[in-house]
Amino acid sequence: YPLYQLGNPQLRVFRTNFFIQLVRPGTAQPEDTVQFRIPMEMTRVDLKNYLERIYSVPVAAVRTRVQHGSSRRRDHRNVRIKQPDYKVAYVQLAHGQTFTFPDLFPKGKQSGGRPTDEDLRDQVLEEQRQRQSPDPRLGGVPGWFGL
Amino acid sequence: MISFFSYQNSHKKLHSPLPSSTCSHDECKNLNVTHPCQRKGANCRFSLSLLTKNTSDVTSFHQCRLLHTTLSRRGLEEFFDDPKNWGEEKVKSGASWTCQQLRNKSNEDLHKLWYVLLKERNMLLTLEQEAKRQRLPMPSPERLEKVVDSMDALDKVVQEREDALRLLQTGQEKPRPGAWRRDIFGRIIWHKFKQWPIPWYLNKRYNRKRFFAMPYVERFVRLRIEKQARIKARKISLAQKKEKFLQKKFPHLSEAQKSSAA
Repeated sequence: YPLYQLGNPQLRVFRTNFFIQLVRPGTAQPEDTVQFRIPMEMTRVDLKNYLERIYSVPVAAVRTRVQHGSSRRRDHRNVRIKQPDYKVAYVQLAHGQTFTFPDLFPKGKQSGGRPTDEDLRDQVLEEQRQRQSPDPRLGGVPGWFGL
Repeated sequence: MISFFSYQNSHKKLHSPLPSSTCSHDECKNLNVTHPCQRKGANCRFSLSLLTKNTSDVTSFHQCRLLHTTLSRRGLEEFFDDPKNWGEEKVKSGASWTCQQLRNKSNEDLHKLWYVLLKERNMLLTLEQEAKRQRLPMPSPERLEKVVDSMDALDKVVQEREDALRLLQTGQEKPRPGAWRRDIFGRIIWHKFKQWPIPWYLNKRYNRKRFFAMPYVERFVRLRIEKQARIKARKISLAQKKEKFLQKKFPHLSEAQKSSAA
């Protein structure tokens, strides 16, 4: 960022490099709260301006925190794998509006097209039973009799 | 604090109808840009048809802000795809923008396209995160790659234009000033200047940096030169060996190329 001294004009960015994602909250949040994942360099004032100018969403308040990405996982060489850190922002909408995170993967559409795992499992079990069942010509009689 | 400039347009989805409207200049006042509608006069309907790159997105959009009935829900809906596409396995999308196509566009068009692509990228990122959360595959993840490529190409084109303008106006090749200097290890590096509120001779941190090398460093400089020379010689000899091997294996080809060229 360029240096700022008292009296300088406000810094204006013409093509932002900030990309944000709306996420489903892990714990229950109040109805007017929307949860975002934002880049670490973005501040709450930046996010407020971003949402108001680009998305025209009236914002009442923004609270941010930095989430530490886990560094506990290790690969096959016992070298630590770091998940990236990210900033989480909780945005409260103005004018008493509410927001619920929608269901982006409704189940109805999927079952029609491809057979589900349960159907495949049933099919495989049925095939196994048919192979293992004895010759139907015997009529229930055990096979160790002659013929 | 950064304030963001964006075009005020309606990112109209294909399923929503096209209401007739007059341009609301309230939004235009937020921008320090003269709105083209003012120039055009009373009729504010001004459509720019950009090339159809994403068939799932809108092809043409209007500069004037169409009438808003809902407020934030419309805004936050832009973080999600068309509701018809929810739960689908594949979503069709066009090719990414190439550099040459973007060079044909004006600066205003590129500015607007940047924000269209930004919103699309945000939408795809939210979809990706939700898919990871639900442990389901994301429908057509190549859309994100295409949008990222388009944005990089746009950035490249804008940088080219800025470079050209700066060269013509001031003659400066690089936007950030710098100088070639020898660092403490004897290497010649491009030192980029930083902005400070105080002059360099009062700057304690800057004065701790030494842009000169002491005589005992010359030995290591020579070793570095030798290393680079060895690498270069190995590369050249490898190319020569390969050429020799190919000549031996396919003797007819090299002469044929020479004779055909002549």
